[in-house]
Order: sequence, then structure tokens, then C-alpha cells
Amino acid sequence: MASAAAVRVPDELKGPLWVSGAFHAALIAFLIFEGYYAHNGSSWGGAGGAITVGVVGNVPGIPMPRPEVITPNRVVDDSKGLYKTEPPKIQQPPPKDTETIPKFLKTKPPPKYVTRPSKVLENKTPPPPNAVPYGGGGAPAVPYTSFAMGPGTSTQAGLSFGGTGGADFGSRFSWYVEAVQRRVSSNWLQSTIDGGISAAPRATVTFDILRDGTIANIQITHSSGNASVDASAIRALEGSSPLDRLPPEYAGSRVSVEFWFDFHR
Amino acid sequence: MMTRKIAILFVACIAWWALSPAPASAQDWFKTGTGLGVSKARLAAPDLGIRTANAQTLEKTFHDVLASDLEYSGILDMVSPSFYPLTVPSQPSELNAAEWARDPANTYMLAYGNATVDTTNLAVAGFLSDVKNPSAPIALQKIYRGAATDADARKLAHQFADDIISRLSGGLPGIAETQIVYVSTKSGTKEIWIMDYDGANQHEVTHLKSVSLTPRWSPDASRVAFTCFVPFRGIVSPQICIYSMASNRLISFPRYRGTNSSPAWSPDGSQIAFMSSQLGDPQMFVADSDGSHLHRITFAAGVSTSPVWNPKTGKQIIFVSDRGGEPVLYLANSDGTDVQKLDMPDMGYVIDPAWSPNGQLVAFSWRRPSGNFDIYVMDIVSRALVELTRDAGRNERPSWAPDGRHIVFESTRGGTRQIWSMLADGSQPRQLTTQAQNESPNWSPR
Repeated sequence: MASAAAVRVPDELKGPLWVSGAFHAALIAFLIFEGYYAHNGSSWGGAGGAITVGVVGNVPGIPMPRPEVITPNRVVDDSKGLYKTEPPKIQQPPPKDTETIPKFLKTKPPPKYVTRPSKVLENKTPPPPNAVPYGGGGAPAVPYTSFAMGPGTSTQAGLSFGGTGGADFGSRFSWYVEAVQRRVSSNWLQSTIDGGISAAPRATVTFDILRDGTIANIQITHSSGNASVDASAIRALEGSSPLDRLPPEYAGSRVSVEFWFDFHR
Repeated sequence: MMTRKIAILFVACIAWWALSPAPASAQDWFKTGTGLGVSKARLAAPDLGIRTANAQTLEKTFHDVLASDLEYSGILDMVSPSFYPLTVPSQPSELNAAEWARDPANTYMLAYGNATVDTTNLAVAGFLSDVKNPSAPIALQKIYRGAATDADARKLAHQFADDIISRLSGGLPGIAETQIVYVSTKSGTKEIWIMDYDGANQHEVTHLKSVSLTPRWSPDASRVAFTCFVPFRGIVSPQICIYSMASNRLISFPRYRGTNSSPAWSPDGSQIAFMSSQLGDPQMFVADSDGSHLHRITFAAGVSTSPVWNPKTGKQIIFVSDRGGEPVLYLANSDGTDVQKLDMPDMGYVIDPAWSPNGQLVAFSWRRPSGNFDIYVMDIVSRALVELTRDAGRNERPSWAPDGRHIVFESTRGGTRQIWSMLADGSQPRQLTTQAQNESPNWSPR
């Protein structure tokens, strides 16, 4: 009673106080009422809400560049994430504000070099008059691939000069190389690889691209050691034929390709 | 004299032999490979140089269409125009490759060119250069010619875009020149309409003043088969109609008893599969494209409809049937044998199958018990599913673009039923039609 008497409410504030009290009571009642009815009956993510079918992040077979990081298409994913948690960084002590500047050392005078006459390493016997000067021998100075020496067949003799495009196909037509890579990569259906394999050694396949873009002579030169990975690599190449025509500026009739497949899920 | 001639001949022979192209032993090669993923090619496509003043408006059309085509190709990473250097080349001699190759443009390929208009003709010289290898030959240089009209500027831009996309995707053709047929109520009744793949150039194909549904392109894009309700001797019943896009008229196809609907072409264009109730139950039939050699291929009780052939092999058919209760997809050989149900991990209607051009994926619409119709894609080998649309109205009737990268479908996400297209991974949806009700799109095969 004493405390109530201590907070004496002036008469002119009594009316507003009643109004305020009634309003707050109504507000609390509304919140309880609303909270009860809003969540009554249906819990979150209840019947039919969660999806269970999106089991893959992307579908192979769509000829688009595959994303480098594939996120599984799930609503709820119980894995801990794509990335490992990094170990906490070791706190380096902050550099001190003041550091004494080391004093200059007395520089030593440079040592005096004594030049001595070098030994003469010239050949005692003079070179023969028909000697080829150093670096001047070997194959004629023509572009690298346009000179070839072979055992010779019935139609070609042992020596042949030719005008193919040059060994720098990859650097001249890097857009073509990348296009081949993109096309084969998008046709490589990793879903057809045995599900029990998570990674395989690199498989290397060689093939030829003919003038019109047809892929020919597909051969596995280095097997991954797993038949289903090798087969998927071959299928990727067969599915990519024909590729784009060889660039018109390229003079040769075919290009050999060494294509590797690194498989890991 | 004689010996001298022989000597000259001999020298000439040697010279010819020496200069003739080298045999296969002197062959070029390159090495490349693939691992986890590949990046998209980065490409910049600045405005064309304007050679004549009256080329201004056509150049704008050309460039807008080109940029939109490239952006929507799904294989390119377009450089934002704000990163472009201040000087834009209009021909290879003006190209400062280093400026484009370094930051911020940091592009890999550059598509540029110039536009000339002489009285009635538009000529666009298009170039595609690898700016990271300035010494490399130009990847593409072509002159595109057409009439100096807006329509032709669009067409030339589509051609240039397709050439670029084909070069940079390893020979898989672009779709910028393809078309889409669909059903529209724009003229009052449901007629077959046609438009460019980007929604431009919409016009009516049929004028039957009745109801036309489910148009399907023939594989050579010369004909469109659809379900029509043309009255015949006073009787209106759904029948299969075939419209020739070359001669702009209906081609004869037999009428059958009962309901006949949902035609589908075999990949070689020689046969048509469709649903017919001529023997009572709605079952699937196959006939030659002129209607001969009709035979029934499904025999189970209930409805079997919406066939689609495997476009790669032609050996299999997917269709919708309610033989097990709800309509779901079934896979069968194209002669109707070896029917197997494509089991879904959930209940609900599964309809509108569409087989991707490479034969590996099937898109369809599925109404799960919890929601609306949405577009899904299934890998036919592993049966893995991906949902492409969600929480955006009803999405139905997918159809694949010939490049296998795009899907066109109908959606009610904007309030009315309209045609939309998207990349086959569900990204970049864009609305193609806006007026009246439009449905049942089908993408041309080329």
C-alpha cells in the first residue's frame, strides 16, 4: 500500500492509463490467439511439401558447358557442404610499432680481381675444309612439320616436303581446340559410368578430325583401367561426331587429337 | 634438245612432287582433355561499324538481335558493354586485340563487323576473332546480304549468331534461325500459329475457323501434323490433319471413326503415331505419313496417347497411359512390344513427354500431389530426375529445341496461358507471347 501510495497517479492521467492498459491486454490476447491458430494443424514442411526427386544437380546430355561446381538439387541436403572447413588461422603477433633500424654495416672494399690470361682451348688440329659450322647442320630450315623423312612406300619416296598447316594448330586455332573440348565434354555422360567408382586414372584417347569434322580412328592409347570409364570416353567421342569443319585457313586434311578424360565424382 | 626437254620435265616433276601436300605422316595434332567441368567461352559483341548513314536503324536491329541470340545460346559468357574499350573495330585491320584481351573486357572471342546500306540492300560483314591469339587467323569472316528491311536485318543477325555459336560449340548448330509452331486464340478460334524462336514475327498458319491442337513438325520441317476439328459432311470429330509449310495448304490424310488426336512423327518422317478410338478404346496407332499401313500398337485397357519417338534411334516410343490408374509415362518399342512403366518417386499425373534430340533425356510435365504441373527432365538411362520449374503457375507441354539446350513450354506464371522458353537446365526463362491465350508449342527440328 505504501508503494502504491508512493506512485500517485495524477487524476488527469488516469483515463489514458486505463486506455493504455486495455490496449496492451487486447494486444497480448490477440498474439496468443493468432499464434495458436496460425500453426494449428499444419506443421512446417508437412505432408507433400518436401521433394525427394531432385537427386541430381544437373542432367548430363544437355550440350551446355558443365558447371565446374555441381550443387545437388535438393531441398534438404544433409551433407556438411561442398567445402572442407578450413583449419583456424594461426594468429600472427601484430608487428610492433617501433622497430630499431639496424645500423649500417661497414662495407668492405670490393676484392681486387686479378685477370689472368685464359687457357686456349682451341683444337690443335684444324677443322676440315667441308666442316659444317656449329648450329648450321641438320634438317633444312623449313617449318617443322613440312619436312618428313620416312622409309618410303610405293607412292611416296623416302623424303617429302609438304605444305600442311604447321605444328602449331593448337596455338593458331585455339578457339577450335576449345570448341572440341567443350563439345566432347558436354557429351561425356558420367552417369553411364559404374556407380561404384568415384575416381579413375586418366584415360587418354587419340582420334583424327577429318576436314569435314568427322571423328575417325578412335583409339584408347592409355586406358583408365576401368572398362566403363573407357567406354564412356569412346561414347563421348562418337556422340560428338561430326565436329565443326576444320578451319578454312588450315591447309591439312586432318588433325590428330590426343584427348584425356579425368573422371572423379 | 631432246635431253634438255627431258631434263626440264624431270625437274618439273620433282618440283611438283616436292610441293604437293604432305602425306599423313606430316600430320598436325593437338592435345586437350576434360575433367570436372569446362568454362563458357567469353565473348564480346560490340556495335557494328556504320559505313553508310542510312544503316543506323538496321544496325541497331541487327546488333540487338545478335546480342540477344548470343546471350541466350547457353554456351557463352557475354562481356558487359560497359567493359568495352573506347574504340570498337569495324574490320580486322582496326582490331586492337590487346585492348580487348586485357581487363576489364578480358574477352576471348570478339564478334564485330560493319554494316552498309545501298538503296535497297543491306550488307553486313561479320568477323569473329580470337583476341587472346592476335596472330591466329580470323575464326569467321563472312558477308551477310539481304534486303534493307527490318525483317532481313533480323534474319542476317540470326545467321551470324548461328555461325558464331556453331564455331564455338564444336559444330552443334545454333537455333537462332529455328521457328516454333503453337496454338493461339489471337484470331478468335484456336489456330496454328508460327513465330521465330525469340517470339518475333508471329503469324497465323491455318485458317480453319475451328479448333486446331497439338501441332508437331515433321523431321524435315516441311510439314506440321496436328489435331483438327474440321467438319466433314456435317460431322465434327477430332482428326489428324497435316499442313504443308512449303505449299501452305492441308495435305490429305485419312479420316477415321471416333476421336483421333496427338500425332507424332517418326524420326525419318515416314510414319505417324497417334491416338485413335476407331476400335472403341482410345489406343495408339501407327500409319505411314500418307495414311496407309495403319496398325494398332497398344492393347491394354484404358487410354494410351501422346506418343513420342526416340529421335535418335526411332526404335522406342514413350507414351502416356492410364492403364495403371493415373496417367503416367510408359516406354515401349516402336512396334508396341516390351512396355514398361517409367516409375516416378511420387504420385500424380505425368503427361506431355518430349524426347530430347540426342535421345538421352525426356522432358515432361508432372502434377505432383502437392502442387501444380511443372516441367521435369529425366535421364532415360539412369532415371535421374531434375525439376526445371517451380512455384510459377502451371508449366506444361515442353518441347526441345534441335540443339538440345533449350526447351519451349506453356506457362500460366504471368496470369494467362502463354509460351515461354528456357535453357534446358531451367535457367533464363523468357516469355515469347503476350496476347490472347497461347499453348502447345513445338520447336522446329532445324
